[in-house]
Amino acid sequence: MKPIFTALVACLVLSVTGLSHAEDWTPDIEAWNSPLPPRVAAVVFRNATVWTGTDDGILEDADVLVRDGRIVAVGQNLSAPRNAMVIDASGYHITPGVVDNHSHAAIIGGVNEASRISTADVRIRDVIDSESINIYRQLAGGVTTINLLHGSANAIGGQMSVIKMRWGAAPSELVFAGAPEGIKFALGENPKQSNWSNPDPRYPRTRSGVDQVIREKFQLAEDYQRALDQHPSGRAARDVIAPRPNHELAAIVEILNGTRDVHSHTYRADETLALMRTAESFGFRIKTFQHILEGYKIAPQMAAHGAGGSTFIDWWSFKPEAVDGIGFNPALMHGAGVLTALHSDNAELARRMNLDAAKAVRYGNVDPHVAWQMISAFAADQLGLGDRIGRLAPGFDADLVLWNGDPLSVYSRVEQTWVDGRRFFDRQADLRMRERLAAERAELIALALNGTQNNADDESESSDMPDDVPQRRHFSFANHLTGYRPSELDHDEFCLLHDH
Amino acid sequence: MPSRLTLMLSLMLWPVLLLSSLAAAEPTLRQPVPDSHAIVGVRVVTAPGEHLDNATIVMRRGVIEAVGQNITVPADARIHRFERDNDQPPITVYPGLIEPFFKVSVAEPELENGTPVGRHELINPDRVIRARDWPTSRMDGLTRAGFTTALLAPDHGLLRGSGAIVNLGDDGMSANLLNASFGQFAGLDGRAGRRQFPSSLMGAVALVRQTLDDARWQAQSRAIWARNPAQPRPEWLEGLDALAPALAGQTPLVFESQDLLDSLRIMELINDPAVNLVLVGHGAEYQRLSALQGRRVPHILPVNFPSTPDVKDEDDRDVSLEVLRHWNNAPNNPARLAAAGIPVMFTTHGLSNPTQLFANLAIAIEHGLDANTALAGLTTAPAEWLGIADRAGRIAPGYMANLVIVEGELLTEKPSLTEIWIDGQRSVLTALVAPAVDPAGQWSLTLGLGGMGDVEATLNLTGTPTQLNGVLSIMGNDTPLSDVRVSGERVIANIDASRLGGSGTITIRMDINGEQARGSGSGPFGDFSVRGQRTQRPNTEEVQL
Repeated sequence: MKPIFTALVACLVLSVTGLSHAEDWTPDIEAWNSPLPPRVAAVVFRNATVWTGTDDGILEDADVLVRDGRIVAVGQNLSAPRNAMVIDASGYHITPGVVDNHSHAAIIGGVNEASRISTADVRIRDVIDSESINIYRQLAGGVTTINLLHGSANAIGGQMSVIKMRWGAAPSELVFAGAPEGIKFALGENPKQSNWSNPDPRYPRTRSGVDQVIREKFQLAEDYQRALDQHPSGRAARDVIAPRPNHELAAIVEILNGTRDVHSHTYRADETLALMRTAESFGFRIKTFQHILEGYKIAPQMAAHGAGGSTFIDWWSFKPEAVDGIGFNPALMHGAGVLTALHSDNAELARRMNLDAAKAVRYGNVDPHVAWQMISAFAADQLGLGDRIGRLAPGFDADLVLWNGDPLSVYSRVEQTWVDGRRFFDRQADLRMRERLAAERAELIALALNGTQNNADDESESSDMPDDVPQRRHFSFANHLTGYRPSELDHDEFCLLHDH
Repeated sequence: MPSRLTLMLSLMLWPVLLLSSLAAAEPTLRQPVPDSHAIVGVRVVTAPGEHLDNATIVMRRGVIEAVGQNITVPADARIHRFERDNDQPPITVYPGLIEPFFKVSVAEPELENGTPVGRHELINPDRVIRARDWPTSRMDGLTRAGFTTALLAPDHGLLRGSGAIVNLGDDGMSANLLNASFGQFAGLDGRAGRRQFPSSLMGAVALVRQTLDDARWQAQSRAIWARNPAQPRPEWLEGLDALAPALAGQTPLVFESQDLLDSLRIMELINDPAVNLVLVGHGAEYQRLSALQGRRVPHILPVNFPSTPDVKDEDDRDVSLEVLRHWNNAPNNPARLAAAGIPVMFTTHGLSNPTQLFANLAIAIEHGLDANTALAGLTTAPAEWLGIADRAGRIAPGYMANLVIVEGELLTEKPSLTEIWIDGQRSVLTALVAPAVDPAGQWSLTLGLGGMGDVEATLNLTGTPTQLNGVLSIMGNDTPLSDVRVSGERVIANIDASRLGGSGTITIRMDINGEQARGSGSGPFGDFSVRGQRTQRPNTEEVQL
């Protein structure tokens, strides 16, 4: 016993000393100085196992031809232009890039505008964090498009923004041009907040109250639209006061006009049914329900309404309204004709979405190719982008992933991730880059030790952070482990509730 | 009820009373202060890149009357002449510096019943800088760094109000105002609270966007209602009328950016070409310069470069590559912006003491910033921007008599500022008395803090009497002196108090008598006495006590 005990203690001591040497780790690579990978004019991937995401299913010994950022052909023995880059993918699998339609992974300054019951005027577009290391890490997990959603603190939340994972690009260049507009709604505990300790309670406090607020907002939006319609145009408008612009109601009007899709956070069947009825009474449809742990109970109604279901495969019971989740939910919804997708809602999980797809095979025996569609083609369909991404077929964006094995296997990993025909992640290049970064670090440390660079530091040391101002240290443990910048860890109580 | 008689009497006596009261009052001693001055025999930098040697500046009633090499000094002018030896650096006169972003906290009225209908606590475009907001206590630091003029900017909220252009002389706003309303200031860092809108950055953006559209609508709808009253009166949103000049481009909209993404965000939010957008920068502009370059939005740049990361201890090297990179790149930032054709001005904002500006600008110049661009960013460029280029930023006839007098060059690591002139009023910053003692060596000092007891300290002075450096060791901390000089037999040493957990400057003045020192000091903690002795001379010879 005793020698084992001693060894154990030694191990612990070793690991603790190891930790004490660990830095507050931040990633060495940064977006701003990551150059845009060149767009290869023509590239052909040869002899791969290709998961098309289309009715063609999985093709063995197939080629994928890409020209100018688009897929031109998928099939066997494709003829490629003479100048095409040839990638021998024998033994590799190629899948469409993962589309994560519920993400908060690249948002800065708060995921929730937690104040009002409706924040339809708030735009995620304004706070896209192009510098977030999540973009690069998720590329390394095969993710090529994510839908950045507002949090769930409001019955009607903020406007979403779909981005492509173009690591290194500025926020405006990340935005998926032409993606349909959308907005977050939320049902359940987060908007009603009746079980929270809140010194300043907000209306509503019940599920029926949330429904009432949503109805009222749509009525106000109809009034607003009517006022806009009644405002004369041309010369006649010169002497008539126009309605005051209202960005909140303007966004809700777009829902009524069918130009803005609703993606609603929900867990329980009852209020999900209620929101569908409310939407129908105003003449529109809910595009997707997010989380929708009880979707299997109301799948026929969802299918009839036309709502997609975007769910977790095995996350539930993190609060009472989420107790009725089951692993078979995706399989059952899909079987009942609901357009079904799997989402991450979590920057870490997003790197391993292939394993969540694999779990849908395990729970409900979903066909492996269909399971992959749940994290690519169907997710793209839910975003209204099913003709652009999520499938490997002529005309689609060249967003694809090269795996060193079956993508549903825990033993497989991503070798390359391409977005728009550009190789944004390459495992071999990444390994080479680490040496370069170590050299850069050594060079800069030598410079710092020389003290030649900046000799006014004696005076300016405290300039950006005066000694008497306590440094903000939110979640320093997370910082240690994940390398997030402090600005990314802005306090967000909803994060802790694991419930965007 | 006074009788008729008393009334008559008092009326008759009135002149007598008046006379006696005059006789009883202290006679006001009116010192005849000359309002005409001539600084003679100096080097004059009249504008960035232009200078005159051995020149004369004549000032009268606060305005420069003449500047040149063959100027006849008027008979009534008081003559200011500097006795210099050949080996001493020349006395140089520069235009007074202009601070384009000096944040001032504006007094807010107490609201008994909360924010009234139609207003938001973070939306105050109608706020103005008023006489009661005059930041007397902070002016001294700015003038000591050579500034004579500043744009005072309201300091908080999303839409913050307009600024005021002032000189930094005595007697408050009344004596110093140039322009009571310049610019509209803004930032996206305001939050109303955890449960109040906005509680997030994206909420703040949404509120500003809505407010700017409300202001446009209000201007239109009120004009329409004035023409045609036969319709419902538009609601009125207090304060938003004040946005009209900024939205029409008649005055700049100055956004204080928090970081690079904030700059991009602001440029997207304010994309109306009619608006004259100006950004107060953050120092990381170089990271995505191409994204900033297109619109050439003028930048007011801070120069608070990061300090050298502590990498001495290999086992405790708690520094990321990100931090190292920024430390290495930040000093290039001003030069990179200027090279990209982005108009640049400089601010002391972000420095714990305005005098740190020079050390940091010297680094920026070392890293490729053109020295004339640097000086222009403190003189002609802000003067142009503020619309006062016909009276500030240069030394020329008709310009305000705002000067800074320096021994040697201004844009060096530690310039020796000797005098500052604001509206023809002279303030001596450092009396130019040649050093009469050599205080180099190690001094053991006792700082007497009165009721709080004594504190022991060690002061290490190195160099020659005209080029001193030093470190003060107190309670286990080694603190470099931000500035130390010898004037006659006196050593004057300044320490940036933020290094010891305070704010402002700690000053030690001690008179040297052989190996003994005696004097006093002052700082944010109060005044103290200084006494001590030299324990070691340079060359490490022990002093026999």
